[in-house]
Amino acid sequence: MGSILKRFREPIFVVALLAVPFVIFFVKAKKGRDLNPVDKVIVSLTAPIEKTITGAAFATLDVWRGYIALRGVREENLRLRRDLLRSRSTEQQTTELRLENERLKRLLDFTDKQAPTRLLISRVVAVGASPHSHTLRIARGTDDGVVKGAAVIAPEGIVGTVAQLTASYADVQLIVSPLSAVPAITQRTRSRSTVKGTGDIGRCKLEYAARSDDLQEGDALITAGGQGFFPQGLRIGRVTNVTRKPHGLFLDAEVVPAVDFSRLDEVSVVVAAEPTPPPAAPVNEPIAGSPQ
Amino acid sequence: MTLRIVLVILVCVALGVIESVVPFLFHLTAARPDLLLIVVLYLALHDDVVEGAALSAAAGYLSDLTSATPAFLYTFLAVLTFVVVRLGGSALKTEGGVQSAAVAFGASLVHSLIATLVFGFFTGAGFHLEIGSLLWSAIGTAIAAPIVFSILRRLDAGFLHADTGGLH
Repeated sequence: MGSILKRFREPIFVVALLAVPFVIFFVKAKKGRDLNPVDKVIVSLTAPIEKTITGAAFATLDVWRGYIALRGVREENLRLRRDLLRSRSTEQQTTELRLENERLKRLLDFTDKQAPTRLLISRVVAVGASPHSHTLRIARGTDDGVVKGAAVIAPEGIVGTVAQLTASYADVQLIVSPLSAVPAITQRTRSRSTVKGTGDIGRCKLEYAARSDDLQEGDALITAGGQGFFPQGLRIGRVTNVTRKPHGLFLDAEVVPAVDFSRLDEVSVVVAAEPTPPPAAPVNEPIAGSPQ
Repeated sequence: MTLRIVLVILVCVALGVIESVVPFLFHLTAARPDLLLIVVLYLALHDDVVEGAALSAAAGYLSDLTSATPAFLYTFLAVLTFVVVRLGGSALKTEGGVQSAAVAFGASLVHSLIATLVFGFFTGAGFHLEIGSLLWSAIGTAIAAPIVFSILRRLDAGFLHADTGGLH
């Protein structure tokens, strides 16, 4: 037995190296991944290096932009002032609409069932190492209140969800990943569907959109909300390549994400709002009739 | 030998960091080279079976850590690539830069194809074969292969020099 083991040492070792990872992958294929202590140690060692390199690169870029590329600042300043005036006017209108919305909600006795949340701004420090991965690494982790599955958004729209995390860093799985599926609503028609990742960084697939829906090229899709998903009403992308087959329940369409994932420097993570401190306890006064 | 193992792992870690940071800084979505796959190819063509397979598994594990895919997918694929390239090793010549680029191009295409199939089949995510993306990635890998091969050759030459130096 010993001589056989010695003779076939190499093939046995290689087969074991193939079998062990495959079995673990097979067992956990549909469960996602939680980082074990060894994984966390390695990420804790490599992520700060990535953060330092990207930080240094962005600092150099800032110096370039700040001191060397000053040409056109006056024109840009004028343009920004005009934009600011326009934004203020829009903001006033938005505030009016928000107040009107709140009044109407009160009239309808509508209560917001969504848990209170806050946005945590985070820097992107790297992308997934494999060319086939669809992840971003951000400089926020469990220490900042980030949890697995937390929604990650950008000003243009939704980015993805937190797939794995350490104390200081989190890996965000983009909505273009084949493992991602986001419940969606068409903004114009309010019809429901699901935006599924395909692995293509510039395109998703629209699933479960009824063939009878009046879905058109360019329609905006927003998140449908629901427990465990993105907050309601965030931009996902625009519908393209709508095809209606003569048979079947659903139509075929693609979605161009609202966010350009290759140009994300900062994102926001949706985390639970910090619990508000309970109101100060009233001074204990003897209650009439209570035993003294 | 132990020092060489440590150095190869450090090279893998450095390449993993480069793979994560460079595409982000330069906004690369296509033509992203699979640097750790090139290390696996080098190990399959130049290393001892046991040590090469173990180091390939380590390289795959580093890919696994940032991909947020189910655990050990890339570890399995790295060892599989090592075995396949090792078996066909006698037919593959990688002495020159062009030869190593050609081998890396082919290996990257096959690796990506198998990754897509295994991932789609076992996770239930379905098969989404992006030919354009696979080709660009293979081109990026082919361009980077001569550089990574050269780094690893230098590392091995340093060890060989140290070994033979003692005989004089």
